[in-house]
Amino acid sequence: MINIKTLDKILKKVEKPARYIGMEQNSIEKDISNAKVKFAFSFPDIYDVGMSHLGLHILYNLINNEKDYVCERVFAPWTDMEEEMRKENLPLFTLESKEEVKNFDFLGFTLQYEMSYTNILNILDLSDIPLRAKDRGDNAPLVIAGGPCAYNPEPLAEFIDFFVIGEGEEITLEILKLYEKHKAENWSKDRFLEDIATMEGIYVPKFYQVVYNEDNTIKERKVLNSTAPEKIKKRMVKDLNTMFSPESMVVPYIETVHDRVIMEIFRGCTRGCRFCQAGMIYRPVREKSVDRLVELAENLVENTGYENVSLSSLSSCDYSELHLLIEKLMENFEEKKVGVSLPSLRLDSFIVDILQEIEKVRKSGLTFAPEAGSQRLRDVINKGVTEEDLVNTVTRIFREGWSTVKLYFMIGLPTETDEDVLGIRDLAYKVKDIFFETPKEQRKGNLKITASASCFVPKPFTPFQWLGQDSIEEFYRKAYLVKNNIKDNKIKFTFHDPKLSYLEAIISRGDRKISELILKAWEMGCKFDGWSEHFKYDTWIEVMEELGIDGDFYALRNRDLEENLPWDFIDPGVSKEYLKREYNKSLGEKITDDCRISCNACGIVDCTMRGYKF
Amino acid sequence: MIIRAKFFKKGYLRYISHLDLMRLFHRTFNKAKIPIGYSEGFNPHPKFSIANPLALGIESDEEYIDIELDNMEVEDFIEKMNLVLPKDVQIIEGKSIEKGETIDSLISWAHYEIEFELKENIEGFGENLMKWLQRDEINIDKIRRKKKKEIKRVENIRPLIGNLTVKEIHEKNVVLNTLLKAGSNGNLKPMDLVEAMNRDMELKIDLQSMDIRRTGQYAEKDNNIFKPL
Repeated sequence: MINIKTLDKILKKVEKPARYIGMEQNSIEKDISNAKVKFAFSFPDIYDVGMSHLGLHILYNLINNEKDYVCERVFAPWTDMEEEMRKENLPLFTLESKEEVKNFDFLGFTLQYEMSYTNILNILDLSDIPLRAKDRGDNAPLVIAGGPCAYNPEPLAEFIDFFVIGEGEEITLEILKLYEKHKAENWSKDRFLEDIATMEGIYVPKFYQVVYNEDNTIKERKVLNSTAPEKIKKRMVKDLNTMFSPESMVVPYIETVHDRVIMEIFRGCTRGCRFCQAGMIYRPVREKSVDRLVELAENLVENTGYENVSLSSLSSCDYSELHLLIEKLMENFEEKKVGVSLPSLRLDSFIVDILQEIEKVRKSGLTFAPEAGSQRLRDVINKGVTEEDLVNTVTRIFREGWSTVKLYFMIGLPTETDEDVLGIRDLAYKVKDIFFETPKEQRKGNLKITASASCFVPKPFTPFQWLGQDSIEEFYRKAYLVKNNIKDNKIKFTFHDPKLSYLEAIISRGDRKISELILKAWEMGCKFDGWSEHFKYDTWIEVMEELGIDGDFYALRNRDLEENLPWDFIDPGVSKEYLKREYNKSLGEKITDDCRISCNACGIVDCTMRGYKF
Repeated sequence: MIIRAKFFKKGYLRYISHLDLMRLFHRTFNKAKIPIGYSEGFNPHPKFSIANPLALGIESDEEYIDIELDNMEVEDFIEKMNLVLPKDVQIIEGKSIEKGETIDSLISWAHYEIEFELKENIEGFGENLMKWLQRDEINIDKIRRKKKKEIKRVENIRPLIGNLTVKEIHEKNVVLNTLLKAGSNGNLKPMDLVEAMNRDMELKIDLQSMDIRRTGQYAEKDNNIFKPL
């Protein structure tokens, strides 16, 4: 255990000390001295952000449900806390036992966002754990990582002992069991890694070597160890009803991003938006049954005391029995004053009925994501919504009394012209016109439209993985093209930092050489890069120059379809042929049907959507 | 009915704010299935109030809460709440009260134990303290933020100090007991008291090492002070 007196002294000085105390309702404190395997789970951002992540609650409860295993949490301390900890020589500790992270068997990171990678190094450093995998001996914790960004593990290859590709519900316990077995025998980290490398879904970077061409593209990958497979297949849970789902969540004392029950209703997505990595890697669609969800919701509400249940998924309106589910939940919860909310809305007009049902009292703001300003461009990205959908839905919601609308767009999408970009303005104005065309006695409140644009970052395992990103200058030009053309105080236009998106593009499609960049940037003081007040763009650029890394090579370059990509050795279920087909269709502005309408032969084995009709 | 209850807040839970504590109680009512009353209107909220918000980092042996609820045995209420509440926030006692003066307006004094370290041994600390208390005026600057402007106001805190005694001095370690005015008719934070002391008596207190504990809260009627339960 760390020095509690020192901790006490520090807690009096820092902002929101409750981030560091643990002891929340439903947190689990076990006697770690008796545990056979000790797992430190880390979300590499501050507590307030990490505690809103569903995956944390799943794995935390999954591991702690095992009698002999312990899972404890560790987050990135905010900068004021870090400063005090370094001043007092207080090592990073887990929230539950206040035990030093370096005394755990595993330190597992969830990779949700590339711009949190410097925080991973900072967490290792604060824990007094060597940063590079090769510098960690038999006694150091095994540093592992999983989550969506692990689908391109290479930028972190230098630091992580092994990656877990795909869903964690089944494999996590398999890993811990294998570790327990090795520990009981004659422990050697290398022998364990050789053994675990044979497990489906595990990637051990040190068993591979990458050979580059002179132009810095990849020539080939060599397998260095006979137990390591050439291709790493993602792990996927077949049946979500029998899969482990948490019946309880740790309830933070402080207000976090989502102060509510997060309940996953299904996994995967059938829409096939071409920019969306999650829509590709989480295939196929698998739903939890209405009965199972009603049971889970009841237990979650009972165990947390929360008054709102958020129905979470990639596209919650697509749940096949949404009406029935909501009806049953509302019936159960009406008396308890528990609300139900849908986080991701599509522009389908049937959704208005459901919104009316669940938002009987409060008419809070609504958020829609048309993603692109013109129909042509929406076809390119296969976002299957039309302007008519938007018009119909917005017309109805204004009549029902809503008056605050947020519209999400991307700029820098493939084939985008200035006309497409100005379509963002046109759509915002259209929404405004619809509001004022609504009969006065039907509309309520003051109209507020927020249109916001993020800068498109091409991601691995999407049909756009070969495409170059717009340059920073081009992003600014397009953003100001919209901004300068909106002259209406009812409409607010905001856009994300193009510089941050440029770096995100470098890292997300990076190869092993990016490890050095991340390391050096961290050494130069970069951390919390996703937080605008901490993002040091100039430092990143300086470091790239120093290391001779050409950022444009990773971010802006159009790849040849036959080029070896750094992440090609991962098998996400979706075939490369399908991605190429989709890429070519996008350039021809051809849309692809929702998988529920017709099968598009994406390569997923055992997909239940095949042949399914509405 | 209204239940008035006394609870403590200690250990690590001294690091959760007043708002966090309110949320904790709210969720605890839900989880413990307490038939709490809700306000009418657009955005109904549960009817309970915790008197005299405790600053972050201060422990307390005696906090008071009033809760409006449908009929329920007080013992039953305490048992159910304590099962759900964390071990560092627990209800000690409670009783059913008539609708009347709220706990918030009732509390007018709070008793604290303040422990700190002096940076160096200081001779005659006790006598100096008594001399300091004999002043008619002990002024501190109170800064109030109004929009972006800071408004400074000088306040005499001497009338807000009910008493102040040395409990023990052990080398550099000092423990004080003090009764300070609390609530809407004058309120003195223990931190402000120590800062004024530190300034006037040139004590060089290590303010970071200070431990404050609220040991009691009192109501006052006709020059009598008494516990609200």
